[in-house]
Amino acid sequence: MKRIPIILDGDPGHDDAIAWVLANGSPCLDIRGITTVCGNQIIEKTTYNALRICTLLKLEVPVAMGRRKPLISEPIVVPNVHGESGLDGAHLPEPQIRLESEDAVTLLARLLTESEEPVTLVPTGPLTNIAALFLAHPELKPKVARISLMGGGVHHGNWTQAAEFNILVDPEAADVVFSAGVPIIMAGLDVTEKAMIFPEEMEQIRALGNPVALAVAQWLEFFYQFHKQLGYPGAPIHDAVAVAALICPEIMESSAFYVQVETTGDFCRGMTVADFRGKLGKKPNATVLMDIDRQAFVEWLIKTIAAYGEGKA
Amino acid sequence: MKRIPVLIDCDPGVDDAAALLLANQIPELDIQAVTTVAGNVEVEQTTVNAQKIRSLINGTFPIYRGAEKPMVRTLVTAPEFHGADGLGGVFLEMPQESMPTEKAWDAIYRIAKAYDGELTLITLGPLTNIGIALAKYRELPALLKRIVMMGGAAVGGNVTPAAEFNIYVDPEAADMVFCCGVPVVMCGLDVTMQAYLTPEETEEIGALGSPQARIFREIFQDSMKKCLAWGRKGVALHDPAAVLYAAYPDLFTAEKAGVRVETKGMLTVGKTVTDLYSDQKFEERNAFVLTDVDRAQFLKTIRMILARYGNQSDAAFG
Repeated sequence: MKRIPIILDGDPGHDDAIAWVLANGSPCLDIRGITTVCGNQIIEKTTYNALRICTLLKLEVPVAMGRRKPLISEPIVVPNVHGESGLDGAHLPEPQIRLESEDAVTLLARLLTESEEPVTLVPTGPLTNIAALFLAHPELKPKVARISLMGGGVHHGNWTQAAEFNILVDPEAADVVFSAGVPIIMAGLDVTEKAMIFPEEMEQIRALGNPVALAVAQWLEFFYQFHKQLGYPGAPIHDAVAVAALICPEIMESSAFYVQVETTGDFCRGMTVADFRGKLGKKPNATVLMDIDRQAFVEWLIKTIAAYGEGKA
Repeated sequence: MKRIPVLIDCDPGVDDAAALLLANQIPELDIQAVTTVAGNVEVEQTTVNAQKIRSLINGTFPIYRGAEKPMVRTLVTAPEFHGADGLGGVFLEMPQESMPTEKAWDAIYRIAKAYDGELTLITLGPLTNIGIALAKYRELPALLKRIVMMGGAAVGGNVTPAAEFNIYVDPEAADMVFCCGVPVVMCGLDVTMQAYLTPEETEEIGALGSPQARIFREIFQDSMKKCLAWGRKGVALHDPAAVLYAAYPDLFTAEKAGVRVETKGMLTVGKTVTDLYSDQKFEERNAFVLTDVDRAQFLKTIRMILARYGNQSDAAFG
């Protein structure tokens, strides 16, 4: 099987971590590298978490750290969602992988340059690194096959009424990315809030028994506590949808829209604005995922995690 | 029957005209006045149009002219949809009558005071007149029962990707209205795009035979063509939906929500921001957002209302 080359870019983060577990566990994907960004927690913590996750997964690819802040605004960290470490809830091994000395954007540029074929980027945090890549290396856009990102929502937000967290943290970067002319698959709240794992399914994952399954079950349990307070019947695994979109798009429904990012406003900063009725006469720049077969998603997730105990991953 | 005293603020406008044709034959509604505002076309024209419609339906309500421009911004109109005359080019006699000198916002306050908390405001255009009334009369909110507003959208827009026309034209006034403390029913695109009329249904209404039903059919001819060219099934009855809600709320699904208006966003100015679907809620649940309509029952009701013109061709109801 021809594997899809990808680069993971994220701010782990429970759902980033699970997304990476699935990406690494899938035989369809070829992870070329990992870059970190500040988002759920400060950059030192998301980077430390990235190294711990790679150690847990025995994933030996270059990992590079992003800048300390979004392009223009100040960081927004969310310990109430992801804990003080940014990835509370599971005991993880100390990193046995060295951080690259180069910056995230330098690593991204190097991996794209070295690749013979275009690479798919999978950002699951604020889009700071991807925007910086396009600004610093516009000539590398043709080397990006597409961007499958978790961010935004064409119907609603979560961190504000109109804005989803990843886009709200760095709207200017998101604007750069959505205007870049590179094809985008947008896993926004429209679909990711439906990609939910219920408590009994968390137990099924725990019962798989392998060390990765145990960590995932513990992450889910921690992540669920925050969502339970908001009235969710389970934990939505937002970031995992950006990975699933590359592996099993057939379990999702999507619409093509022209999407822009609002960078100003009292209420709408960070909103992904979709032109539903084609008022602007622009060609769609994003495939916006709107729905997912939740049952099929959970089955795929469990199957992929089970493989870690069978020595396949 | 206990009739609901209403004041209709509007900018006719083809669907405003249709809304007035309907409101006049809804026995549950007692129209105290119509106020006009600049919106679909300039206020001189919306006022003339209101007079023409009143004459067509033998209406007895007074008309007061309102603002000629939004509170803060310059006026944006929509003649490409409503026609240069605002009535889709349909000829109606211009009645020779003098206009009262009282301004729209003063009339709104006076009538609200007279009804002492019982008056329902139905707004079908930009909210400039209401914004000015709120600015001038600090006790006005306590004197209003509720505001039924055609405007906004929880999702999407029609003048920009994020904004509906009435809110886009005067977002500052709209936000004042949402924040004034009077419960606002937002009859926005979420529901009005579902409340459409197909060409066949329009013909059925025209065939009712009265001059009023014929005009109802005629005023939508031009806009119908545009809507069909855009791939829609028919023309949306935006303003009639708000009028019907005021009398027959059971036709609709309403959800309590917090709503504010974006007045600063580059892409989103004029967006009605709701907390209907987001984890993050506003402190105030200041509005009811209409999310659904029983379209079959809605159209049946419209046909029934317009059929009354045939029964009493020379006297308006009440």
